[in-house]
Amino acid sequence: MLENILLVLFVAVLVVTHRRLRLSKASYFFLAIFILLHIAGAHYTYAKMPLGIWAKDYFGFARNHYDRIGHFAFGFLLAFPVRELLVRFGRIHRSWSFWLGPAVILAVSGVFEIIESITAETVAPGKGVDWLGGQGDEWDAQNDMLSALVGSLLMMAITALVERRRARR
Amino acid sequence: MKPVRFAENRFLQIVLAAYALLWLLLAIHPHDRGDWFLENLLVFVTAVVLVPTYRKFQFSNFSYALVAIFLAVHAVGAHYTYAKVPAGFWLADVLHLSRNHYDRVIHFAFGFLLLYPMRELLLRRAGANETWATWLAVAALAALSSWFEVVEGIVAQIVQPELGTAYLGTQGDIWDAQKDMGAAFAGAVLVATWFTLRSLKSRKHH
Repeated sequence: MLENILLVLFVAVLVVTHRRLRLSKASYFFLAIFILLHIAGAHYTYAKMPLGIWAKDYFGFARNHYDRIGHFAFGFLLAFPVRELLVRFGRIHRSWSFWLGPAVILAVSGVFEIIESITAETVAPGKGVDWLGGQGDEWDAQNDMLSALVGSLLMMAITALVERRRARR
Repeated sequence: MKPVRFAENRFLQIVLAAYALLWLLLAIHPHDRGDWFLENLLVFVTAVVLVPTYRKFQFSNFSYALVAIFLAVHAVGAHYTYAKVPAGFWLADVLHLSRNHYDRVIHFAFGFLLLYPMRELLLRRAGANETWATWLAVAALAALSSWFEVVEGIVAQIVQPELGTAYLGTQGDIWDAQKDMGAAFAGAVLVATWFTLRSLKSRKHH
């Protein structure tokens, strides 16, 4: 439920801003993939996603890691449109944008963890991290944020390499 | 802003000397030397970043003073071990709190005091205009706060469990990381809102 509220808000913002802040095709492509991954996670409830259970059995993980992939994908797929926003509309210098993009991702990730914890305490007081799909991981929030950060840094590295190659031609 | 050589920057010399004195006094017999050392990694990192960059990028003296104030209240936390700072116990008595909230105050101060320097950096170097600089500074501080929680988690798992708990200072709160980040975020948003209101006001006048 909560997952889909976020999604509807997110799509609404994209639609409303489409005219004034038109992003590149690549950005909309990354956004679309992220939305698809998120819909799949929300449908199965993240901790029960079949793909994650398969990975858990196959690699012998202690938990279903689909949620971590979701956080990683959040960083990886959204760092690109965020950076584009910073460069084109915020007029941020290119060299700074590669760091401020991940900064925005990590900040949003942190705020998301805060909202999640408030929701958990309101809806299911005392049940704590597990209600959030932490699956017994006491460092769940930290690991989620780290996944998002690593994803965003990876995307920035790829973007920098691709841009450099293009500039050489 | 014209750069000033450190030898001629009397204000900064006084700030630095005052901080050095305070730091030395608080380095004598800290409550827990291991925790004191871990907490002071932050001071060392700040010094390593700010000292060599003084020539290339000079913050305003106001920014340096804010950083010094932040590191001063942090040094107090490091001396007593955050969960045991007397000011925090006093606050808990007065407001009938269940725990020592000194650490939360410092997280709040992180956002509140460092928004100005961060905004200054983005404004002068990153190409941001005032609005973008203000709110990207909020994002940067929220990101650093999240990053700090990640690093704290890793450090706490590496060192011996007792020291790790002292360093984390969760005092049994499972939502400690979220509340710490929330405090920093609130501090930064507060100052950013002030900046935004001020620029809206001045726009109206012109």
